[in-house]
Amino acid sequence: MGMTEHISKQFEADLDTTRTRVLQMGGLVEAQILAAINSYATGAPDLIAQVIENDARVNGYEVAIDGACGQLLVRRQPAAIDLRLIMAISKIVTDLERMGDEAKKIARMSKRIHEHGTHQAQRFPAIRHAAQVAVKMLRQALDAFARLDVASAAEVLKEDSEIDSEFKSVLRQLITYMMEDPRTITSALETVWVAKAIERIGDHSKNLAEQVIYIVKGTDVRHTSFADVEREIARE
Amino acid sequence: MTGLAIGLAIVAALLAFGLARERREFRKLRRWASQSRLAEAPEGKGHWGEVFELLNRHRRATLKRRRQLAQLMVRSRRGAQALPYGVAVLDAQYRLDWSNEAARDQLGLDPERDRGQPIGNFVREPEFVEYLRAGDFSHPVQLQASGRQARILSLQVVDFGAEEHLLLSQDVTGAARLEAMRRDFVANVSHELRTPLTVLAGFLETIRDLKLDASRVRDYVALMAPQAERMKRLIEDLLTLSAIEHAPAPPPAERVALKRLLERVRAEAQALSAGRHRISLEVAGAHDLVGAESEIASAFVNLASNAVRYTPAGGEIRLRWRSDGEGEFSVEDTGIGIDAEHLPRLTERFYRVDRSRSRETGGTGLGLSIVKHALARHQASLAIESVPGKGSRFAARFPASRLVAAAQKVAG
Repeated sequence: MGMTEHISKQFEADLDTTRTRVLQMGGLVEAQILAAINSYATGAPDLIAQVIENDARVNGYEVAIDGACGQLLVRRQPAAIDLRLIMAISKIVTDLERMGDEAKKIARMSKRIHEHGTHQAQRFPAIRHAAQVAVKMLRQALDAFARLDVASAAEVLKEDSEIDSEFKSVLRQLITYMMEDPRTITSALETVWVAKAIERIGDHSKNLAEQVIYIVKGTDVRHTSFADVEREIARE
Repeated sequence: MTGLAIGLAIVAALLAFGLARERREFRKLRRWASQSRLAEAPEGKGHWGEVFELLNRHRRATLKRRRQLAQLMVRSRRGAQALPYGVAVLDAQYRLDWSNEAARDQLGLDPERDRGQPIGNFVREPEFVEYLRAGDFSHPVQLQASGRQARILSLQVVDFGAEEHLLLSQDVTGAARLEAMRRDFVANVSHELRTPLTVLAGFLETIRDLKLDASRVRDYVALMAPQAERMKRLIEDLLTLSAIEHAPAPPPAERVALKRLLERVRAEAQALSAGRHRISLEVAGAHDLVGAESEIASAFVNLASNAVRYTPAGGEIRLRWRSDGEGEFSVEDTGIGIDAEHLPRLTERFYRVDRSRSRETGGTGLGLSIVKHALARHQASLAIESVPGKGSRFAARFPASRLVAAAQKVAG
C-alpha cells in the first residue's frame, strides 16, 4: 500500500486493522440490506426478525471503530493522508450505520405490508432493481475504499442518478395504482417508504465514495457536480 | 656484471609485466563478480583462462537450473490458473499473496493490486468473516449474496506449508438450486394433495356427524366433486411427468400427423375457454413430426391451456405452426404476462409466479415441467418471451431431424 513511511510500525498495523473492520462492517451492512429486500419480497418473519436483531451488531461496529479512531488521533497525532484516512473512516462509519438503519426500516415496513395480507410485492420489479443498484453501489464503494481506487469511486457517484430516476418511476407507478384502486393506498404508502429507504442507501454509498476521493486526493468533492469531480480527479 | 644486471632487469620487467597482467585479470574478475546479472565471464590469459572457463561452466549450469525452475513455476501457476476453482494463496495473517482468474471472477480479487491486503477486505460477507475468526476450517462455508450475481459460493480454507493458507472457492449455484428443488418438490406435492383432501375430509365428517336433509347433502357433494377432480388431475400430471422422465428409451419414431394434432389442440383450448377468448390456428409448411404422439400432444395441449388460463376474458390466443428447416409450434396470448425474473424457473415443478391465481384457474403446477421434458426427449427446446401486462409467447422448436414431409392429404 503506497502510504507514506511511518515512524511506528505499530501505527500502520493499527490503521490497517481499523480499515479491515470498516470493511467488515460494510459487509454486514450489505448483507442486512439484501436480507431486508428479500424480506420485503417474501415477508418471511424470521428474516424480518433477523434484520432487526442484527442492527445492534452494526451499531456495535460503529461505536468500536469510532473509539479506535479517537485513540489513533490522540495517541499518534497523524498528519496528511493518515489524518485524512482516520477522519474519513469516522464519517464512513456514520454513513454505514445509517444504511443499517435504513435496512431495519425496510424490514419493519415489510412486516407491516405483509401483515395487511395480500400484497403485490412481486409486481414491483422496479423496487428490486433499485435495491440491486444500491447494493452494487455500496459494494463498489467498499472495494474502492479497500483499494483506495479513485476512478472506481468516481463511477459510484455516477450511478446515484440511476437510483434517483428509479425512485421517481416507482413513485409514478404507485400513484397510478392509488388512483385506480383507493384500497391500495395504505400499502402503496408503505411501499413509498421502502423505496425512499433504498434511495437513501444510494445517497450514503455516494458519500462513502466521496470520502475515498477525499482520502486519496485531499479534495472535498461533496456538493460538487460530477463533471467537476472528474476534472478534480484528473488533476495530479 | 652487466650480464647479471641485464638479467635482473629482464626478470624485473617480466615480473612487472606479470604483475600487471595479474592485476588486470583480477580487475576483470572483480568487475564480473560485482555485476548483479549473471553475465558470461570474460576470456582470460594463462591460468586465468582456466578459472574463467570454470566460472562459465558453473554459470551455464546455474542458468539451466534457473530456467527449469522457472518453467516448473510457470507450469504450476498455469495449472492453478486453469483450475475451475477460485484459488488464493494467503499468508499467516490471511493476506493475499496470489490468486487465479477464477478467484477474480468469483470473489472479485485483483491479484496485482490486492496483494498484501487481508482477504477479509474483499470477501466481506459476515459468514466468511466469522469463519476466519473461528478458525475451524474442517468444513466449507457457503456464501449467498445477490451482489455476486445471485451466485452461491462454497469457500474453504486449507492450511499448507509453513503458516500459509489456501482459499478455495467453488460456484455451487447449480447444486444448491437442485437441492432446493428436491426439497420443494416433496413439500409441494404433500401440500397440493393435502389441501383438497382436507376439504373432502371436512365435508365427509359433516355429512357423517350431522343429520342433514338431502338437498344439503347434495350441495356438499357438489362442492366436494371439484376437489376430487383437482386431486385426480394432479395425480395424472404426476404420472405423466414421471412416465416421461423415466422413459429410458428414446421416444418411438411414429409419424405424428400435425394437422390433425393441431386441430385437436385447438378444440381442447376452445373447450377450456368456453367462448371467453378468440382462438386462432395458423399452419404454414407441409411437414409432420416424428416422435411419440402422446408426448407431443400433451406438450402442445399444456401450452395452449396455459394461455387460456392466464389470459383474461376477451383476450386473443394464436396457435401457430411454421416449418422451414426447423419446426416451431408457438402459442401467443394477450394475457397477464410474466416478469423476467420468473422466466428461468418457470419449468420447475410447482413453481408458481402467483400461487393464489394459478390455483384458482385450475393449474396443477406441473404443466410446464411436462412440456419441458416431453420436448427435451424430442431434442426440441422451449423458448419463452413475455412482457408483463402485455402477453406471452411460448414456442416449441423442433430440429430438422424431427420433420418429415406431410403425408398426402387423403380426400375427405
